[in-house]
Amino acid sequence: MKFTDHTKIRKEKFGTVVFDTLTEKIFITDRIGGEILQLIEQGKDLPDIFNMLADSYDGDKQMIEKDVLEFTEQLKANNIICV
Amino acid sequence: MDIVAEDKTLSRLTNPGPDDELKAILKGTNFEDYESPLFIAWQLNSACNLGCLHCCEEAGHSMPDEMTKDESLDFCRQVADLKIPYAAISGGEPLLCPHIFDVCESIRGNNISLKIETNGEFIDEETAGKLAALKLRSVQVSLDGATPVTHERLRMGGDWEKAVAACRYLVELGVNTEIVFVPTKFNIHEAGELIDLAYSMGIYGVYTGKTMRIGRAARNWDILCPSEAEYERFFDVLDEKTAAYEGEMKVYYYPYDVIEELKYRLESPSASLLVVPNGKVKLIGPLPFVCGDLRQDSLSQIWANYKKAWRNPEVIEFTRKVIADPKLLAESNNWREI
Repeated sequence: MKFTDHTKIRKEKFGTVVFDTLTEKIFITDRIGGEILQLIEQGKDLPDIFNMLADSYDGDKQMIEKDVLEFTEQLKANNIICV
Repeated sequence: MDIVAEDKTLSRLTNPGPDDELKAILKGTNFEDYESPLFIAWQLNSACNLGCLHCCEEAGHSMPDEMTKDESLDFCRQVADLKIPYAAISGGEPLLCPHIFDVCESIRGNNISLKIETNGEFIDEETAGKLAALKLRSVQVSLDGATPVTHERLRMGGDWEKAVAACRYLVELGVNTEIVFVPTKFNIHEAGELIDLAYSMGIYGVYTGKTMRIGRAARNWDILCPSEAEYERFFDVLDEKTAAYEGEMKVYYYPYDVIEELKYRLESPSASLLVVPNGKVKLIGPLPFVCGDLRQDSLSQIWANYKKAWRNPEVIEFTRKVIADPKLLAESNNWREI
């Protein structure tokens, strides 16, 4: 899982900006979305991301997995990441 | 803990135009929230081999005080330092600038997305190879007709064959190649044919929209501006072609004219800066206001100036006057410091 060629990520005070410079579309995510993006940038795969978030936050691990999967599906659907 | 997917709003943020849905999404995050611009439009030089009737920049001769290579590279460093993700280089004709490849290498060396806008006339096989090596976001070639006669009538001194050849060289070398088409009375009837030609060449996308009444286009407005009926037919053709090439080639058009753009920008300025060849930085192409000078101010300071300038009563008042009287757009290149 990695960012597509023309995707750029930048942290701002209000969240993380995801800029698909090819389509010139901009997206924003909240803090946790930003953390996931950072982990993707570091080359982590999905199981790593599940585990790292589960360690960082209290909550049901299955729910975390579901949420992360939904988020990464959104990223894929918008050509932000590819596998 | 709350990381439900709905809360991680992955929402389109900017900037295709004045629609209410977009404004709703933008609520709470506007250009003033950004620590630096997201996009730099850089007119690298003013020299151009053509004398296009519709040129926004009135390009032709070099300005006497254009930024040197060292100054340009210092600017590139600042762009990288501020983590600006995307830049576009235009001119004049940027390939006439002797240090264009130094600048491009500096930008790409910092992994910043880069688009180059050119008339294509200096792109032979060798230059296409150099551009391909830069792994650009895209090269955008101006093609204002599906035939040499039409293209060259509008682009005085232009050579349609060279522009088309440039597209073919670039596509062959895997460069993401786009065509930009400016509709005028001279060429609007060839839009459909041009889009078909673009598809046949393997072009990534065709960009168009209403002609901007600024620069030389403002002076030639009466002979250039298509009628409402011509525009109506033009947008019908674009809709047809968009559907015909869906999923294969992007046909992008911006349906608003420059006045509608200004109305929108007055409320929602974009997170971008326009740098002209001598290092002055404009608020936006259609307005004359300059908010900084790269020779005197840091890019960071200019960004702060830009944010303030859009709230300056002089800017607001003048923009409203332009909206009421579009003839004032002819002032766009008579720069005023703010």
